[in-house]
Amino acid sequence: MKTAADMKIGEKARIEDIDNSHPSSHRLMEIGFTPGQEIEMLNKTLFNDPIAFSIRGSIIAIRKNEAASIII
Amino acid sequence: MKDQTTLNKTPLIAITGQPNTGKTTLFNQLSGKKFKTVNYPGSTVEYSISKILSKYAVNANILDSPGIISLLPVSPDEELSVQTLFKHPEHGTPDIIAVTVDASQLSRNLYLVRQLINSGFNVVVILTMLDLLHKKGFDISDKKLSEILKCDVVRVNSKTGEGIDNFLTSVNKSILQLSKLSENNSVTGHFPVSRENLLKSYTEIEQIEKDVIFNTGISETFKETDLDKINKELIVLNSPGSFQKPDEFTLKLDKFVLHKFWGLIIFFLTMLIMFTSVFYIAAPAMDLVNDAFSLWSENASDIVGDNWYGNLISQGIISGVGSVMVFLPQILILFLILSLLENSGFLARGAMIIDKPLSKIGLNGKSFVPMLSGFACAIPAMMATRTITNKKERMLTIFIIPLMSCSARLPVYALLIAFLIPKDDALTGGLILTLIYIFSIASSLVIAAVVNKFSKSFLNTNDNSSFILELPAYRKPKLTAAVTSMFSNAKQYVLKAGPVILYLSIILWVLTYLPNYDPVVNENGKSEDEIVMLKNSERIATSYASEIGYFIEPVMKPLGLDWRVGVALIATFAAREVFVSSLMVILKLLIQRKTIKVLF
Repeated sequence: MKTAADMKIGEKARIEDIDNSHPSSHRLMEIGFTPGQEIEMLNKTLFNDPIAFSIRGSIIAIRKNEAASIII
Repeated sequence: MKDQTTLNKTPLIAITGQPNTGKTTLFNQLSGKKFKTVNYPGSTVEYSISKILSKYAVNANILDSPGIISLLPVSPDEELSVQTLFKHPEHGTPDIIAVTVDASQLSRNLYLVRQLINSGFNVVVILTMLDLLHKKGFDISDKKLSEILKCDVVRVNSKTGEGIDNFLTSVNKSILQLSKLSENNSVTGHFPVSRENLLKSYTEIEQIEKDVIFNTGISETFKETDLDKINKELIVLNSPGSFQKPDEFTLKLDKFVLHKFWGLIIFFLTMLIMFTSVFYIAAPAMDLVNDAFSLWSENASDIVGDNWYGNLISQGIISGVGSVMVFLPQILILFLILSLLENSGFLARGAMIIDKPLSKIGLNGKSFVPMLSGFACAIPAMMATRTITNKKERMLTIFIIPLMSCSARLPVYALLIAFLIPKDDALTGGLILTLIYIFSIASSLVIAAVVNKFSKSFLNTNDNSSFILELPAYRKPKLTAAVTSMFSNAKQYVLKAGPVILYLSIILWVLTYLPNYDPVVNENGKSEDEIVMLKNSERIATSYASEIGYFIEPVMKPLGLDWRVGVALIATFAAREVFVSSLMVILKLLIQRKTIKVLF
């Protein structure tokens, strides 16, 4: 199972599902990470965490463990 | 509240919206007040309420509130915002909710709009950031959006104020309807929170977005030539559906600012430049202020004469206030740089870069901005921690903020350094000051790490540590806005510290000069300067202050301090910046032009 945390810089993917068991899942969806949306991995900072994604015309930085709840 | 009845009659308009959508800029336009707006979530730490400027001829109160993403809050500041929207403790439920919507990120913003409409609020949608949408080669049909949402939609350029008239026309219309509808309009607070409803809502929003956003074919022609160039590049890049692409310039710049290696270099360089400029650029200005006050003090003493009240004015009041005003240049520069960094969108990136290291010691990337503003002043910094969702991280951030060396402590350090380092050795002085700052950061981080280790026993660590932060599009910071913010912050500092320092300077003068104002000393074979010196030390040794100082000396002795520092410390209970002026009076620091002499 591939998640957004496995993406490389510049890689694009479509969100399959959001792992409901993650405590941040509801907020991730509210901010726009919904199944069917296309995301692009833009930047990783040092230690590869947090990760910046392009979603719905915005740039959102989330932690790696939160990205791991986004199934692509 | 005695104004309760009058306020109830005046309609209340609450401005809300997602972070970075231009709420506060709009509020400033309507209220005429110059509150600072920043490009970082949670900058509205306190509620601002104001009457709409009389020139707009609308009788209503407006309320500015921190940005929210959804009506289902996850952090204390969101919770407060949501509660206030439903029922403000003083002003009740808002009659109209004006929600700012970033047109370049329509779908994410419409989520909140729909929640508000479904809750039964009287909503007016304000489309902002249209320039960013135009830059991408797209536009939005406000008429269609208004039909679909069944509420008024207006386009406003909050920076120039263009479109505000339309907003007010819409508000006036709503107010008239309000009086007709009376109590029929009730706010329920029921809105879908389940996953199914959330996804259904977004599916509907996506359809709305497709219906209202259209390709302009050609990008808007801007007057500025540099924007023309960017637009020409963008036309090539435009393809159907690319309105869902973030700002091109921001993407390019982020390749460096968020680069693994260069990002870190840029981050530390920015911090370094910020702190060194606070010390070095300010130096000449500080000399100027110092000169002005000592000249003023001398003149005052010459005019009034060498008597007790002349001395009170020159030594007690002018020197006392001057010793604090001398640090105003540093405070101005610190606030200016902080404001520029915030407005440009850099601070959100800084928070992202520093999140991982800070999470290791139990903090959060979102602790970064509060910690940084802790260098200016601790109180607003602590209030800004409300954006941190995790309770433990928030408490820990609040806990270490007082360890950040705030601007009020600068005078104290500068004074102590002046005591310890020869006057002609400015470089060593600057180095020591820098070391003090590094030490304050290091000690706060060490303490955070230690507390984090042992915190499990007294803080609930069950809640989820999270970092979800929108990185706003880079915007050229408006210098005028930054300067306004700098002056209003500095004014706050002077207005809050000034009177306290003035009163205490007078009280301290009384305590240190009386009752033995003109002591008798042995003047045989001594120069004029020496006589003054002797009189000074004799006067203070027999003053009221010395009695207090001697009284608390048993406590001070083990610290290696004597009664004089004790007196200064008592005065510091009012404000820490008072320490300098009080110690100066007590130690008889005579400020002469550019030379500081210590007369013990």
